[in-house]
Amino acid sequence: MADLAKVAPARPLRRGMDRGPVREFLVFGLAGELYGVELTGIKEILSPPPITTVPRAPREVVGVCSVRGLLVTVLDLRRRLRLEERGPTRRSRILLAMADTGEVSGLLVDEVRQVVRLAEAEIEVAAQALGGDLAEHVLGVGRPGGMFLILLDLKAIVKD
Amino acid sequence: MAEISDKAREEFFSEAQEIIETLSRNLLALDTASREGSYDPSLINEAFRAVHTLKGLAGLFGATRLGSMSHRLEDLLDALRLGRMVLSAETLDVLFSAVDAYNKVLELEKAGIDQSLPEVDALLGKLDRLGAGVPDRSSPVSEYEFDAGMLAVLTEYEEHRLKVNVEQRLSLYRLRVQFDLATIDRALEQIKERARLHGEIITYLPTGETTSADSIELDLLMASKDTLATLIGALGADNVVIEEIPRRRAPDAPAPRAPLQSNLAMPLPSAPVRAGDSMPPPVRETDRGGPMEKERSLRSLTQTVRVDIRKLDHLMNIVGELAIVRGAFSRIAERVRNDGQRQLAAELMRLHRNFDRRLSEMQEGILEVRMVPLGQVFERLARVVRQISRELHKEIRLVITGAETEIDKLIVEELSDPLMHMIRNAIDHGIESAERRAQVGKPNAGTIALNAYQKGNHVMIEVEDDGRGIDESAIVERAVQLGKLERADVGELAREEILGLIFLPGLSTRQSADDVSGRGVGMDIVKTNIGKLGGVIDVHSEVGIGTKMTITLPITLAIVSALIVRAEAQVFALPLASVSEALSLDEASVRVLDGREVVTLRGSTLPICRLSRLLNLERAQDSLTRQGFVVVVALGSRRLGLAVDHLYGQQDIVIKPLGRSLRNVRGFAGATELGDQRVGLVLDAAALIEEMLVGSEQPRERAGVAHG
Amino acid sequence: MPRILVVEDSSTMRAFVRAALEEQVSSVGELSVVEAASGFDALRLLPRGPYALVITDINMPDINGLELVRFIRSSEQHQATPIVLISTQSSERDQQRGLSLGADAYLAKPFTEDALRRVAFEQLERTRLKASPNG
Repeated sequence: MADLAKVAPARPLRRGMDRGPVREFLVFGLAGELYGVELTGIKEILSPPPITTVPRAPREVVGVCSVRGLLVTVLDLRRRLRLEERGPTRRSRILLAMADTGEVSGLLVDEVRQVVRLAEAEIEVAAQALGGDLAEHVLGVGRPGGMFLILLDLKAIVKD
Repeated sequence: MAEISDKAREEFFSEAQEIIETLSRNLLALDTASREGSYDPSLINEAFRAVHTLKGLAGLFGATRLGSMSHRLEDLLDALRLGRMVLSAETLDVLFSAVDAYNKVLELEKAGIDQSLPEVDALLGKLDRLGAGVPDRSSPVSEYEFDAGMLAVLTEYEEHRLKVNVEQRLSLYRLRVQFDLATIDRALEQIKERARLHGEIITYLPTGETTSADSIELDLLMASKDTLATLIGALGADNVVIEEIPRRRAPDAPAPRAPLQSNLAMPLPSAPVRAGDSMPPPVRETDRGGPMEKERSLRSLTQTVRVDIRKLDHLMNIVGELAIVRGAFSRIAERVRNDGQRQLAAELMRLHRNFDRRLSEMQEGILEVRMVPLGQVFERLARVVRQISRELHKEIRLVITGAETEIDKLIVEELSDPLMHMIRNAIDHGIESAERRAQVGKPNAGTIALNAYQKGNHVMIEVEDDGRGIDESAIVERAVQLGKLERADVGELAREEILGLIFLPGLSTRQSADDVSGRGVGMDIVKTNIGKLGGVIDVHSEVGIGTKMTITLPITLAIVSALIVRAEAQVFALPLASVSEALSLDEASVRVLDGREVVTLRGSTLPICRLSRLLNLERAQDSLTRQGFVVVVALGSRRLGLAVDHLYGQQDIVIKPLGRSLRNVRGFAGATELGDQRVGLVLDAAALIEEMLVGSEQPRERAGVAHG
Repeated sequence: MPRILVVEDSSTMRAFVRAALEEQVSSVGELSVVEAASGFDALRLLPRGPYALVITDINMPDINGLELVRFIRSSEQHQATPIVLISTQSSERDQQRGLSLGADAYLAKPFTEDALRRVAFEQLERTRLKASPNG
């Protein structure tokens, strides 16, 4: 179980005064790509606890686990985004995200990298370019410090 | 003035003597109680009345020393009972010295000796130093919608008691009671006895509404911190109608009416609210309160609402029924989609999701409302302890911890009796007499500890005493005598098993337990009552040191007992309520009937459903070697044998609903923590039966594919 | 013989009142005292009236004297029966309250036999005059 304080701090970015409010994104790896989700939507980052599989569950559901008494449904983000499947590894983490309804879901990702700060103007609307199943969950892309980040809309992912 | 006869004088002295004895008893009780922090105010009033009567009598018989001393004491006690003075240790000392002085004075008066007494002079001096206190004329009782008639007949003392209770923010109730005139004294004592545990009866008012010549109706004005529901539960009867007297306005609101009006810019209801329509029964409309007052009282009522627990149960039942509706909803949506109406199906599903979410919130909300702190019942117990210790002349120190621990309201209600019983036993049979305690070097006051704390999904309550402990040999002896135990088996019993014998019916009867076992009566009933709440009770005892009884209770009644089973490598919980029996599966006896596996159980055919196939579970390593079991689940007259690979036994579980992404998964009632962070799915027996025996073709086909 | 109901929880006080009233003949003739040791006793004894006078202590446990006054005044049988309150000197408020509820007089403890007789006889006489305005 890692908490947010241990995540590497963001490298300061240069930006102009007129680039809009700055948002913080948590960067994680998934099937060889880097993704970002807004930090405010993440409650906690966990090393995967024992997960109980749920027979008859939708494919994207890994199973259920208990986080200090709270029952959490864990979604495999690879499956959720219809990416190539792979079982959890030592570096796998679960991001706990809270939906508008108050329900907390877990998102299984390959690894957690760092937190970056992006001004509004640094977020490129690029959903069309990605196409397919991913499009509805993507806010845009960002390129902080030479990275290529696909920014996901966390709310849309845990909503359904 | 006529000669006073010798007989009258004799009577006077004997009554005076009695009064002084009563006074002395009252003071002792006051002393004990005030050291514990609070005392029954009626003790002071009784002391006042004793002195008051003495003064009156002294006047009649010309006993001037007795008269003047009583007069001064009466003033002091009057100030105390009307709250103009606080009862201090110093005041109590003065009162005790008054008893001594009274005895001396009475002796002299009886002997007809007229001489001054230094004790009386000293007493009068002390009384002077104590002063007379400050009169308090404010009256907060106008905050309540009183029947004006009721207020008019209160004596100054009763009005003071009313005021004190109102200031403590207690609720006021009117108990309308019908009494049979012939038995009124006994009936009234009974009601007083019970009422004492819940608050203070301030006055008894005959209503004058007599239904027959042999009966009488009284209004009892009572102040209590308990809810109307609690009082109805404790005191309600055919002849007792309890109503709450509504508060008129917030207690801190200023009393004068004129400036109050300008504060009230609230619109008045366009139609007058009829009393009794949707409000707690108001007592009677008073002329003093205009519409403004009325409005005010309506608003203050909305802050907190007292709810009968049965109404919450009813709401919970509705939630259960709505859950069934929810199931039907999703099936319809599925059918609509299969018919090709995708858009309509999507809309239905959206509605269904919304419904589902709100339903879960509602369930949680209701559960939350039901939780109350155990302090409610502990306070009642503290009063019982005081009372019993007084009755039995044993000094008891009650130590309470964890009063803030929360538990289901329904459990709290049912806990009161068993705990009261256990505490009575602890004081009566556990705590030794003061002499005995002194002999064995224990402090004079016995200690009863009442501890509560939460442990996982359970609340633990300990009742511990530092008394004599339980005599195991006496218990064994009694059990053998009663034929509950073979003498030959005695040696094999562990300590806990022996102590557990006290819960056998008949074992803790009065004659056996009294002073023999050190544990009192009716422990079998206590155990049964705790069991009804899903709780268990354990005993630990050391002879000479004390006894500790530990009650383990579920936090809420949403906790159920379940059978823990395994199919392949996966562990499931199956609520016991739907399990009728479990037996081992003899593979050789399984036949196939109409394409379904069945076994014969006591002459009838039982369809079998293999959980591993139904749920398409991954094969575990030991698949081929294991011995199977059949758990028979029943829903009404329908039975189904669930074939599983292993039975782990019984466990209490809290069922938590599955998340929204799993809402369409059938066959599970939720999930629960099984310990060491592992989560087990809770099987929904009803859904499985429905699916296997009456459900649509679709799931059965799916199951067929899975093992085909 | 006119009967007087005395409600008082001290037996000595009741005996004293009985002696004082039964010893001397009043303007309405010889008197007989009926004793009630509590408010409830009084409630039991009242239906067995009529009584020419009720004398009651105010400060009694359970049903107090004021409540008794209200009850008596609201009952058809006794609404005209004169009531004398016995109370402590100190509690003016209780005395006033009693009078406003319909009691006719009060006596503060301690009192003498004479004072008691004076107040009691006055009430009995008043009722007699009211009952027979011509006589």
